[in-house]
Amino acid sequence: MTVSAQRGGGGGGVVERGGGGPGGGLADVIELILDKGLVIDVFVRVSLVGIEILTIDARIVVASVDTFLRFAEATNRADLYGKGAKPKDLGELTQSITEGGAKGKTSGALDAAVDKVGELLSSGREDREAAPRRRPRQRERDE
Amino acid sequence: MSEAVSDMQTPEGDEEQVVPVYVYGLVRAGTELPAGLEGLGPSGQVSTMVEGEVAAIVSDIPLDRPLGTRKDLLAHEAVVDAVAANAAVLPMRFPAVTAEDAVVEELLAPNQDHFLAVLDDLEGRVQYTLKGRYVEDAVLGEVLQANAEIRALQDKISELPEDASYYDRVRLGELVVNVLEEQREGDAAQILDRLEPFAVSLVANQPSQPEDVVNAAFLVERDRLGDFDEAVENLGSELDGRIRLRLLGPLAPYDFIPAE
Repeated sequence: MTVSAQRGGGGGGVVERGGGGPGGGLADVIELILDKGLVIDVFVRVSLVGIEILTIDARIVVASVDTFLRFAEATNRADLYGKGAKPKDLGELTQSITEGGAKGKTSGALDAAVDKVGELLSSGREDREAAPRRRPRQRERDE
Repeated sequence: MSEAVSDMQTPEGDEEQVVPVYVYGLVRAGTELPAGLEGLGPSGQVSTMVEGEVAAIVSDIPLDRPLGTRKDLLAHEAVVDAVAANAAVLPMRFPAVTAEDAVVEELLAPNQDHFLAVLDDLEGRVQYTLKGRYVEDAVLGEVLQANAEIRALQDKISELPEDASYYDRVRLGELVVNVLEEQREGDAAQILDRLEPFAVSLVANQPSQPEDVVNAAFLVERDRLGDFDEAVENLGSELDGRIRLRLLGPLAPYDFIPAE
């Protein structure tokens, strides 16, 4: 993936860009619209019957052991660059880093988890995740 | 009272009838919505409901399925961000469903002064969110070079079969994560210091992953967007190869909405 430059300032750069809409990933969107913004229930008290809202919990707990193992593996890979057959050509190495970079070469645990939520969401008709409610309300948070 | 209301424009003949609407956000009355907003309702249209000097951005909602799919989330975000690109908007949190009557009577009318005050503060300003992440290979190389304990552990692991090295691998990862989290603070502070002068206000959110360096929201004056953008780009070039920056925006000012 190459760095896209859809910006007012013009000119491509090293900074990856994403706006609202299709450019931003689901993870970026979830972080904003589920956690922030005005909560409608604070203002209105009208109850609506028959409208179902899927319960969505964006806070995905990544078991720390899994995180540690992922980093151990990544570190062992990084070491290949360190002592293994020396990189033939620095240019090539840099390029591979940059290319992998754009989308995150080891897709982070969070990204993976969010993809999973995405699947759940898109197959939202299955009733497991659907919590029929008498009225829409802010999703419960245990924080 | 069974009702299958699928059209927001249903005339108010029956007073028992409750018409549900989705509310994306609030703007000053008279704000023109960008063309082509689709929203999440079956009509594929987004409009405003006005009361005095404030307006709610609304649409119909799907009634034949639960709300909350990936598409719904993206649609909500797309609407508020598109409006935010050119106007001050107070974004709602997902999901914001209410009865059509309540939009004016309970949301807009009683809270008008409060909403107008917040909109005034946001006037002429827009949010950008900057995320930075370590380039794994580069930073892990640094960590290895600087830390003898980690190198020793790594050597030990390389001599053991995978089954036998489980706890050492967990320990290795933990050490690496600790080092990353320690150095993150300095790197993040450096990034924020450089960009703060270009923003009216900034909110630093807690990064969610060990390799994340920074996750910060900037409220930027529209007429300083060029400077801000240039500063981000310069910083990105300097950090290139070690920290990868990602700039999201223009966004609705989610991080700058005062608590109710």
